[in-house]
Amino acid sequence: MDIQEVHYYYTTDIENNSVRTHYRIIETNGDESTLRIEGAESNRHYQEIQEWVAAGNTITDPGE
Amino acid sequence: MPLNTIPNKGLTSRGYPSDRLVTPLIINGDMSVAQRGTSSSSVSGNGYFASDRFKNIISSLGTWTVSQSTDVPTGQGFVTSLKMDCTTADASPSASDNNVVAQIIEGQNAQLLKKGTSNAESVTLSFWVKSNKTGTYICELYDVDNTRQISQAYTISSSNTWEKKTLSYVGDTTGTLDNDNGASLQLNFFLATGSDRSSGTLSTTWTSVTNANRAVGQVNLADSTSNEWYVTGVQLEVGEFDSTTIPSFPFESYTSNLTKCSRYYTEINQNGANGWRTFPGRISGTTDVENIGVTLPTFLRTGNPTVTKSGSCVAQVWDENGYHATSAGGGTFSILTDSGNSTPYLHCKQTGFTGLHNEGAGNISFVLGTPSIAVDAEL
Repeated sequence: MDIQEVHYYYTTDIENNSVRTHYRIIETNGDESTLRIEGAESNRHYQEIQEWVAAGNTITDPGE
Repeated sequence: MPLNTIPNKGLTSRGYPSDRLVTPLIINGDMSVAQRGTSSSSVSGNGYFASDRFKNIISSLGTWTVSQSTDVPTGQGFVTSLKMDCTTADASPSASDNNVVAQIIEGQNAQLLKKGTSNAESVTLSFWVKSNKTGTYICELYDVDNTRQISQAYTISSSNTWEKKTLSYVGDTTGTLDNDNGASLQLNFFLATGSDRSSGTLSTTWTSVTNANRAVGQVNLADSTSNEWYVTGVQLEVGEFDSTTIPSFPFESYTSNLTKCSRYYTEINQNGANGWRTFPGRISGTTDVENIGVTLPTFLRTGNPTVTKSGSCVAQVWDENGYHATSAGGGTFSILTDSGNSTPYLHCKQTGFTGLHNEGAGNISFVLGTPSIAVDAEL
């Protein structure tokens, strides 16, 4: 996965509250991936996000 | 006699290609399934690029075309191999550089090895290999849970000639493997490495990892753009065998192999020009479709896969207001948080529409026009 941008992604819960639930990953080829934050540690791309952040990049938070 | 060598005569009499039960250790050992595509160029990092389940782990050691090749050993029943073709050489690797082809095995699939007990099983690795680059290569078993490893060397003796290799590894009475769906045991085919992993003495018994002892003597396959390396027929058998006693390769039907691979990766693709994929969904507001029920070929390894939507994917809906479509790559496709961990089914959501009929009733379809959605639960 060639990460260009990572954003937090919000969805609404059963009470219609906006909740930060996913990572949204934009790749350099234009593909878009999503990964749930809950339980992400079991996903190999979570580690790639951590490495991308460790390299000095920042996850964008668009807010609720 | 190890379980995996029990003759399965009833099946063979009905025409099955294998004469015995199949171990769960190596998946797609004949390289026949390549869902991501048959060739990927400019590979210089980690990932899955051609044959399913075989991962390239590359750290600053050459650039490669990774492909599913039809160059196979004659008369063995194989039709595909995994090919590594060096396109940018690195004749002088730095100490930490590394290049490995690996398969990572779930802990729950490796419990039959009884690792970490007094009854720990030996295993034997067998495979066919071919390269123009002769010399010593290293195959390693790496215990991810306990950071232990064991390596064995093999020699490619004849340039550009298919050779069958058989390597035995003793059982490990230390370090049990987690009985879960995480990475526990990793088979590493070293292709090149720097001094960090090769400056010691090769560790041919199970031991806590000392990096310098992992790949001692490994040739540098990355030292020339003329270099190629092929592998197929990878099997990891319980028990000790040699080249004459190793059981035959456990060929499976393509469907069986594909289903096993689909636990780790699957794609939802358009099937032909008008072969749209339609799923039930529920319109939420005027821009979103929720509760899209995506059925999968089998149980995913994890309920939280990465879902990747192609930049050209168009989502389409018909509702009481008519036809609606996102722009190519428009909106976001995600798995809802209530998707289960143990179902061949995902609850998904697609945003990016306009003018939907809120809570519209009736037959609402979610259609993927152009490829694709990739569902990745690989280790």
